[in-house]
Amino acid sequence: MDMDDFKVAPKTARKAYELEYDSLSQAAIEKLMEQDVEHIRGIFGVDASTASLLLRHLAWNKERLIEQYMDHATKMLVAAGVSIPEPEPARPSRRPARKPAAKSPKSETFVCPICFDDAPDLAPLALDCTHAACSGCWAAYITSKIRDEAEHACRCMAEGCALVAPDAFVRAAVDPETYVRFQGLLVRHFVACTPALKFCPYPACTNTVACPAAASKASLASVVPIVSCGARGIAAPSPSSAGMSQSQELARQATGKEHKFCFGCIIDSDHRPVVCGVALLWLKKCRDDSETANWIKSNTKECGKCMSTIEKNGGCNHMTCKKCKHEFCWVCMGPWSEHGTAWYSCNRYDEKGGVDARDSQSKSRASLERYLHYYNRWANHEQSAKLALDLFAKTEKKMEEMQVTSALTWIEVQFMKKAVEEVDKCRMTLKWTYAMAYYLAKGNQKDLFEDNQRDLERAVEDLSELLESPIEPENIPTLRQKVTDKTVYVQKRNTIVLEDTADGFLEGRWKWNVPVDGFDQPENE
Amino acid sequence: MDARLRRVNKEIADCKNDKTSNIRIDLVDSSPFHLKGSFPGPEDTPYQGGHFEVDIVIPDSYPFQPVKMKFLTKVYHPNVSSASGAICLDILKDAWSPVLTLKSTLISLQSLLCSPEPNDPQDAEVAKHYTTSKRSFEETAVYWTKTYATPPAGAADTRDEVAIAGLEAAHVDQFEQLGFPRAKVIDVLRRLNYRGANVAQITDDRIVEELLK
Repeated sequence: MDMDDFKVAPKTARKAYELEYDSLSQAAIEKLMEQDVEHIRGIFGVDASTASLLLRHLAWNKERLIEQYMDHATKMLVAAGVSIPEPEPARPSRRPARKPAAKSPKSETFVCPICFDDAPDLAPLALDCTHAACSGCWAAYITSKIRDEAEHACRCMAEGCALVAPDAFVRAAVDPETYVRFQGLLVRHFVACTPALKFCPYPACTNTVACPAAASKASLASVVPIVSCGARGIAAPSPSSAGMSQSQELARQATGKEHKFCFGCIIDSDHRPVVCGVALLWLKKCRDDSETANWIKSNTKECGKCMSTIEKNGGCNHMTCKKCKHEFCWVCMGPWSEHGTAWYSCNRYDEKGGVDARDSQSKSRASLERYLHYYNRWANHEQSAKLALDLFAKTEKKMEEMQVTSALTWIEVQFMKKAVEEVDKCRMTLKWTYAMAYYLAKGNQKDLFEDNQRDLERAVEDLSELLESPIEPENIPTLRQKVTDKTVYVQKRNTIVLEDTADGFLEGRWKWNVPVDGFDQPENE
Repeated sequence: MDARLRRVNKEIADCKNDKTSNIRIDLVDSSPFHLKGSFPGPEDTPYQGGHFEVDIVIPDSYPFQPVKMKFLTKVYHPNVSSASGAICLDILKDAWSPVLTLKSTLISLQSLLCSPEPNDPQDAEVAKHYTTSKRSFEETAVYWTKTYATPPAGAADTRDEVAIAGLEAAHVDQFEQLGFPRAKVIDVLRRLNYRGANVAQITDDRIVEELLK
């Protein structure tokens, strides 16, 4: 097989589970803000500073601003902190706001009303309201507003005065670093006010994603808007990376975790195929049941044969007891021999047992067990995904070994890395399919869903096992062949699961056993 | 000199020179950033004749962030916690302005005593008392002022716990005679807001039920 098989098919047609979105840098957002300001400036005939203060006051809602400004221009200017309430007709300020205080006559020395300093070299500053204070106090005040309160609208220091310091005034008052922070606050405010924009939730990332298709709450019932801001890794320098050379740094950026997040509910992971409403229900349930979860999450299990306590420290579910050599499945604890054959029932909860649960006690036991069944498998995939990091390191070592022991070149051993990445991605999908299955109403649709889930899970476990297998020089070509085949198969299974669920949401095929926002009420059973 | 220190020193000096406002600011220890303010209760209010002390802590970012104030003297007022003395006042939070001073803030506290704001309460029980029966509330506030805020403080053993809780002695006696401890009766009646028009609405059974809990 050729390496070409690994290339992702060129994105000619968008898959049903993918959405169109755009990644924007902070500079691009600033440009968007500028466009809005220019637009308003052209209509109202005011200066840029006034226009942007007006826009910020009305949460960047241009239509509402135009409407209200046409009706009550003066009132709007006062409310936005552009001009002081005066009986005389409003006159948008044309001057830059800095000017010496007209209040204190030149003959008297200026005493700052904030710090009571009266040094002759004090430079009194004031906004249009002429409430003067020394430049040092203005700097300290605006810095404290920006840094401590994360407030972008810095009002005049005088009591009851609602005038807002324009950007030029802020820029002159504070140090450049604080001004950068101020610009960041403005961008965040703009993004927060625009439903089609969301800030990347990864630490120290300043990118924004635009996804108009998922801007309304109603759309979240039919799409799972997983987006990526395009950046990778964590930008903040960690102590360990301080000694990194430039090339190492570049490598980290290239291999670091992609900034993937959900546009709908801003969690920093990919919760496809399940929609936000159900994902949140599930996460909340897991948190509420944390006591039980703690108990179940304890990472050890007993060997089904000799009762030795076993901790799982690798990604594959095929366990072999160190002591008695009993081979079993970590998920169902049944003997592994049953899994290799045609039937594999590990992912499906046997609900038949619930039928005879007449009395309330056994019913509640059944519901707890049902929950634990799904939770167990969910947590298992999460744990395995965490272990994928170790697997990745191990794989890199293996790849190096392969280059030494065989005639393969660097590019030819990349199949291992691809496979690990694919396993990680599919475990994410599998994890969330259990959350979805927990809430799916019983019926044919659920059976079909679980069939797909089972096929994917089996494929992933097979591939995962292949990756853990020891490498012998003579079997490298076969291994490569097997891994490559399996990776392609896993990729296909994953696409099937994602596509089928996404289509289901669009067709309204999925029914839940609990009320979910944006869906019909569940039928009473 | 440090701008914050200069400003606080000036504020303390200004307050000393001002004989008309009746506001005092004193040092608690050697630090000028931990102070004690005091003022007389406003006239024609239940707090008249009282002397109210306020704990003042000046934060590092003063005057750009508000001072921290709380009552040291116990006050019966909807916007002041009857337990901790914490104050609910806008200028101590988001409506703070750097031109406000310690003196002007203490004057604001004084006027807060004149005009309670029961819709934005710090102490929900006191606020309920205020809205249920203003007359009964005022009696209790007067009693608190007499007990806690009068300079030669009344001897502790003569304090009337029933009046402090803002209840009627007859009501407390009635339930105490059923065999419940007096302190518990006071606690339950206060919690249920057994005052004014509410007395008719709360059945005796309900109270006994609470007392038995």
